[in-house]
Amino acid sequence: MIRYLRLYGYFLRFSFSRAMEFRLDFFFRIVMDAVWYVVQFSFFWVLYRHTALLGGWTFDQVMVFMGGVFVVDALHMTVFSNNMWWFPIYVNKGDLDYHLVRPVSPLFVMSVRDFAANSFVNLLMAVAVLTWTLARYPAPLGAGPVAVYVVSLLVGTFLYYVLHMLFLIPAFWMHTSHGLREIYFVLGETMTRPVGIFTGWVRSVLVSILPFGVIVSFPAKSLFEGASPGPLLHMAAVTAAAFLAMVGMWRWGLRSYVSASS
Amino acid sequence: MRLELLWHIVSVEARRRMTYRADFWIGSVAGIVVKFAVAAFIVGAIFRESGAGRIGGFTYQEMLLYYVTVVLMGLFVQTSEREQSVSQEIYEGGLTRHLLYPVSYGTMKYAQQIAAAVPALIQATLLTVWVPWAVGIPEGLTWGSAARGLAALAAANMLHFLLTYPVQLVAFWADNVWSLLVMHRFASALLGGMLVPLALFPEGARRVLELLPFRYLYAFPVEAFLGRVPPRDWAAGMVLSAAWCGVFTLIGRAVWRRGMLEYTGVGI
Repeated sequence: MIRYLRLYGYFLRFSFSRAMEFRLDFFFRIVMDAVWYVVQFSFFWVLYRHTALLGGWTFDQVMVFMGGVFVVDALHMTVFSNNMWWFPIYVNKGDLDYHLVRPVSPLFVMSVRDFAANSFVNLLMAVAVLTWTLARYPAPLGAGPVAVYVVSLLVGTFLYYVLHMLFLIPAFWMHTSHGLREIYFVLGETMTRPVGIFTGWVRSVLVSILPFGVIVSFPAKSLFEGASPGPLLHMAAVTAAAFLAMVGMWRWGLRSYVSASS
Repeated sequence: MRLELLWHIVSVEARRRMTYRADFWIGSVAGIVVKFAVAAFIVGAIFRESGAGRIGGFTYQEMLLYYVTVVLMGLFVQTSEREQSVSQEIYEGGLTRHLLYPVSYGTMKYAQQIAAAVPALIQATLLTVWVPWAVGIPEGLTWGSAARGLAALAAANMLHFLLTYPVQLVAFWADNVWSLLVMHRFASALLGGMLVPLALFPEGARRVLELLPFRYLYAFPVEAFLGRVPPRDWAAGMVLSAAWCGVFTLIGRAVWRRGMLEYTGVGI
């Protein structure tokens, strides 16, 4: 474990020094995320001019929910996203070989090697937005439930990463996962909407087989609805199942890896 | 530029885009379906929870038709949005070979964008087939409104190119303009009526949005197609859209001239 933490420390150092080479991009990315936050808040503001509730939530509740979405997205962008971008390319070109011969888990290296230092400022910004949405919430939420909300958002981020990997691992067989990646990003949109708007079998799918509807909606549901541990237990079970599926697929994929460029 | 040459560029580019067929269909078709499904659930939730029969002048079915049309028409507007080929060529020095060609760079890139509409046309045609059964036929749709909508769509395709072209040219000075293009996508989705019909905005905001170029990317072609824009307003809208095309052509030319003074032709 200590060895992995030390290794991660080196990854961080390299990532920050690389990010400093592209300072203008650093600035653009901050503005880009700020624009995304404004667009998302404006979108809901416009909708709530015509309804008091959406998916069973008030505007103030959706603001807190969106604060959670921004934190999960920023964490994913900072810790995992760059690695997810490169992974299919490594498989396709045979560059995964270099990581397979190293004395650490290739899944760990493939997932967290490239820390996006230029997204780190966005993460701070997302945390500030979440804090603001919690502070402006009209009813007292309590420190305990807020702490549970924050921790479950971290679990949600992990689930978001696991789902991303599940959509990329087929690159071992398909040699390109461009199409699946597109589907992942589009399905990711469902994470940014309260799960309560979905009905019928679509909702069932979004909280079980493709649990994008769990990532932020369930922590928010638990925050607003109080003591019931149901949503969080469900989230933990879904995350564990998805993680096991990812590890299984990864091992299966490695057995199919032919180590040849294509 | 000769029409024959333009057609040749379009034809080559269209074939290139259809090369990875399975991948192309998996990604794009699923993308369209999910985008529409999310929009449909939001519309359903608003009507269900507000109890209103009409919102922003739309019935439930009309708003669904708006969203399905905006998703399908959006395919023709954003054809090559994510590719950033202009900024990539500037960054890597690939622009150099284009400077030797007897064709203006901007025209060539626009021809490539038109080519990118070919796969979009196939997708849209196949996906449009189920619309009358699933969502219904728009009441205001006539041959005339369809023609006006398609003309506005052609203008929207050009306006989109002209809007993003100067942004991509920022690559003459910056290492990465991807974030700027994404910013443009976010802003135009909201202000152009892709995320939510402009009729749902407050009156004051709507008046401002009608003057901005974003409306002419999505909302205007869709509303014209669905027969929600009277011919007189359509003509005024087309004039405004053409005016914005002119403005962004001038901006693109100015940025190109300044950028060429910076360009070293060796890549970065």
